Amino acid sequence: MNSTDILTCSDLAIGHGSHVIMDRLNLSLPAGKILAIVGPSGCGKSTLMRALGGLDEPLGGTTTLMGVDLNSADGLRRQDILRQTGFLFQGSALFSSLTLRENIEMPMREFLKAPRKEIRQLAEYKLALVGLADAMDKLPSEISGGMAKRAGIARAMALDPAVIFLDEPSAGLDPVSSGRLDELILRLREAFGTTVVLVSHEIPSILRTADFCVYLDPDTGTMAAYGPPKSFLQAGQPPKVHAFFSQARFD
Amino acid sequence: MSHAPTGLPFARTDVLADGTAVVTIGGSWTLDSTLPPIVVKGDRVKVVADELTAFDSSLPAWLYANFKNIRQLDLAALPARLQSLVQMAEKASFTDTHAHDTGFLEHFGTWGVESGSSWGRAFEHIGHTTLGFLRMLVGRAKINWSDFKLELQTAGVDALPIVALLGFLTGLIMAYVGLIQLRLVGATVYVANLVSLAMTREMGALMTGIIACGRTSTAYASQLGSMNVSQETDALRALGINPIEYLAVPRILAVTLMVPLLAVFATFIGVFGGMVVACAGDLSIEQYLTQAVRAITFKSFLVGVIKSVAFGFIAAWAGCYRGSVAKRSALGVGEAATSAAVLGITFIVISDAFFAVIFNLFDL
Repeated sequence: MNSTDILTCSDLAIGHGSHVIMDRLNLSLPAGKILAIVGPSGCGKSTLMRALGGLDEPLGGTTTLMGVDLNSADGLRRQDILRQTGFLFQGSALFSSLTLRENIEMPMREFLKAPRKEIRQLAEYKLALVGLADAMDKLPSEISGGMAKRAGIARAMALDPAVIFLDEPSAGLDPVSSGRLDELILRLREAFGTTVVLVSHEIPSILRTADFCVYLDPDTGTMAAYGPPKSFLQAGQPPKVHAFFSQARFD
Repeated sequence: MSHAPTGLPFARTDVLADGTAVVTIGGSWTLDSTLPPIVVKGDRVKVVADELTAFDSSLPAWLYANFKNIRQLDLAALPARLQSLVQMAEKASFTDTHAHDTGFLEHFGTWGVESGSSWGRAFEHIGHTTLGFLRMLVGRAKINWSDFKLELQTAGVDALPIVALLGFLTGLIMAYVGLIQLRLVGATVYVANLVSLAMTREMGALMTGIIACGRTSTAYASQLGSMNVSQETDALRALGINPIEYLAVPRILAVTLMVPLLAVFATFIGVFGGMVVACAGDLSIEQYLTQAVRAITFKSFLVGVIKSVAFGFIAAWAGCYRGSVAKRSALGVGEAATSAAVLGITFIVISDAFFAVIFNLFDL
């Protein structure tokens, strides 16, 4: 592990219950970099992301986030680390009885000492960043899936986290919004040095934004490749990885 | 204009000869710091950040909040990464979405319209339910019969303990109160008439209906409300299945069948409860039972059964109706459960009053 690595895992095994779906996972990500997790549907991408983010305990191996081994850390330390992360879940997981603005304000009210007016303006700004300035007072049930996704991203960014985990952020977004999202991710990294871990099937988007990419192979039950995504298009990569990237790019 | 010592965030405004307001920002801007207030007049603003030491998203949020409506905003002097964060937010449209203040009349009008449409929806649901039953009778409805069997168990058999307990206590309380009063006129033997008649005609059905509201209505409202949230009812519609027929009809049918049986059960348990008190006091078991059998006529038994059929229907319908119109949120499901119980109990009491008048007219 390098001293600049914000996230590492070694010999990680993940799965559901006692059923291992991926093991022998080893990777390290320097701070301020963008990591994309790719692979066929159902291979365990979201499960890996949840384990890396400390939401689920791995079945084996270790993960460290900001230098802390999340599995052996005590509850308070673990909570402290999790507070410095932001999560976008596949289904957005917005609080259904709160408006979008209230959804963004909620973590701010819990953890910031800023006055109410500032919290309000911060929430409005974060929603404007994802293009939802016009929908602040709507309930999650009144917006589309794509808008809910963007609101989920705004909530994940609420506390300026050091690491953001995004589970299929561009799923359900139109190409323009998807492009804007890529731009937003890059600008967040540029402005605040935010580290981003994302699960995605959008190869063009991954090629545009990600510094590193890990390909999970369900057939072998481990990672087939780890490196800069552009290198996956070059010869010399495992054929499966090369084919996946080439085909997806072609699509 | 405000100023603060180095470290804390500050903003200073100077107005140039040509009317341009130059806002100098500086210090360290963090999410936890109290941000400086600023008032800028005019529509030309230049922001400079010569004395800025550090910032997080609180600064672009502050710039966005204060300058989003400025026509000529010059951010060129800001660090590129800060500029880009403000411009990203500015790309969104700035329609003012703040709700306008509404007056009393508008509130009242909105309440009236919403109440009217809520009653409309309720009657529509009753209509659809009735149609569903009719279609079921002619064999054209798609009914989830596995739900029906399950509901016979959960709304009926599983409710026996609570119905027994409350029925017993109701009979016991009535006998206790009756005994005290009847003792004053030396007519304690009539406590058996009081308890058995009240349980048969009124309390057996009413108590069971109220238990069904608290137990079954709320469960149905939660079940159907959750299905509404997860779009399962939409999926049924998309499959060409009427959710009222598929989900509501078997539930309502099961409860409408089970509540009369439970009411009869509650009646007998209540009469037994009364007997315990009466026999602990002035009456023998034989006296009590003789009087009770004399008091219970077929007419009063029929009255109780008719009422309990109606109460069962109301309790189940209230749950299904409130569940089907539940808002798509966790709060909405909770509200649906609460309002199902309230609606069910209110309708049961209203219909009980209605039955009293009708039965009186028909001398039942």
